[in-house]
Amino acid sequence: MLEVEHLSTVFVRGGARIPAIDDVSLRVAAGEFVGIIGPSGCGKSTFLHTLGGFIAPTRGEMRIAGRPVRGPGPDRGMMFQDLALFPWRTVLGNAMWGLEVQGRPRRECRAVAEGYLAMVGLLPFRDAFPAELSGGMKQRAALARVLAYEPAVLLMDEPFGALDAQTRELMQEELQRIWLQTRKTVVFVTHDIDEAVYLADRVVVFTARPGRIKVTVPIDLPRPRELEVKKTPAFVDYRNRLWDLLREEVLLGLARDGQPVAGGRG
Amino acid sequence: MPAVGPLTAAAAVVVAWQLLAQAGVLPVWLVSPAAVVEQLGVLAASGELARHAGASLYRSAVGLALGAGTGVALGLAAGVSRPVAAFFDPLVALTYPVPKVAILPVLIVWFGISDLSKIMVIAISCFYPCFIAALYGARGTDPTWVWAARSMGARPARTFLRVVLPSAAPQIFSGLRVALALSFILMLAAEMIGSSNRTGLGFLILAADASGRFDLMFAAIAAIAGLGFCADRALLRLRRALAPAPPAVEATFGE
Repeated sequence: MLEVEHLSTVFVRGGARIPAIDDVSLRVAAGEFVGIIGPSGCGKSTFLHTLGGFIAPTRGEMRIAGRPVRGPGPDRGMMFQDLALFPWRTVLGNAMWGLEVQGRPRRECRAVAEGYLAMVGLLPFRDAFPAELSGGMKQRAALARVLAYEPAVLLMDEPFGALDAQTRELMQEELQRIWLQTRKTVVFVTHDIDEAVYLADRVVVFTARPGRIKVTVPIDLPRPRELEVKKTPAFVDYRNRLWDLLREEVLLGLARDGQPVAGGRG
Repeated sequence: MPAVGPLTAAAAVVVAWQLLAQAGVLPVWLVSPAAVVEQLGVLAASGELARHAGASLYRSAVGLALGAGTGVALGLAAGVSRPVAAFFDPLVALTYPVPKVAILPVLIVWFGISDLSKIMVIAISCFYPCFIAALYGARGTDPTWVWAARSMGARPARTFLRVVLPSAAPQIFSGLRVALALSFILMLAAEMIGSSNRTGLGFLILAADASGRFDLMFAAIAAIAGLGFCADRALLRLRRALAPAPPAVEATFGE
């Protein structure tokens, strides 16, 4: 479904060339859930934004269902770290936005949007404005908006990063339920190892800057996964293994830069 | 003031004023509210009120529409386009501090002591707050909103109309509100400097002053206050209809 070949992104800042992503190739099958983790500042968000078409890659190619893509498009549904809900629109108005762009009749936009709001459990709040919602409800609204226009691939950039621990676990469970229902192709960036193992079919570990794929770990846990799965030995094994791999990279990055990487948009 | 109605303070002042006037302790140039109301009635009955207020409203409304229309349009253009901003920014920065009433004599030379010179000075004054509000409103659009719109397949025109415009709308309305107040100030100033056809509330004030008619003068001032208040409320109502503020950021001032 999603094919990325030899993708590299180099930023130019004040004449200096800063490689952010270096030669990343990744194939995501239709209906597969891929989690990406990496030390902060490793370029995993940049990678996702490149997939989204917001950053032009310096080299390499991406294809969706065999077609090369450039620039942003509704075939890839982007869920941003800060959600980017439109504050002047209600929950329903937000969910309808992507459908309105396609020029579909208003009644149809409304029906489809309401269907997805029901799926994320936000139908009773369709007339609320984003500012009136709690953190978890905002996540649901953003998820409904991106699902509503039915993109082939979902790109999620640490969407649960700002939530408290309990809401976060709840949203992970919800996302799994919705994913099992819709079987979307998902690329999910997170800095939370547990989240990646719990949600993903495959966890990709990025190296410290510039981001390269260090290793890919298939997660062989049966679905649907209960939250209790996080206590099982198999889960703990995955977590420890990924934690060791990640720590290696964090230490490497520290040793090279002499200090922690500032910023932290991943 | 939760326990006190919004009009209580104003009513108290009027009542005290009236009582003092009836007690005979007020000077002749401070006429009683009752006399002002009476004079307003006389003006309204004779059609004078409608004639002067109509002339004033026409000037300020046309001037406001011209100035605000250009200001908002150019401000939005400068907000989304670097070259447009680079062209207008220095021009606006240079001319902004000039009190616009200072150029009224020039406009009078160009356009005569006509409605046109008054409308032009009002339009020029109203341009600035609208331009600046629209510019910063458009620039304040969260870039991820624009990204989200583009990722949903929106072309630049739709992104502008459905993201930049609504995101800038609250600021634009703040600019319009300032412009509305300016349009009244400039309208009065321009009418006091000269009115070729002897109309307008500003002209009425000057004429009343010249003949020592303080009741007439206060009646004209009251008419202006009433019109200004109504226009401001109408604008707030328009804002609520066009750009409903999300509850968390609802402005309470003047609502």
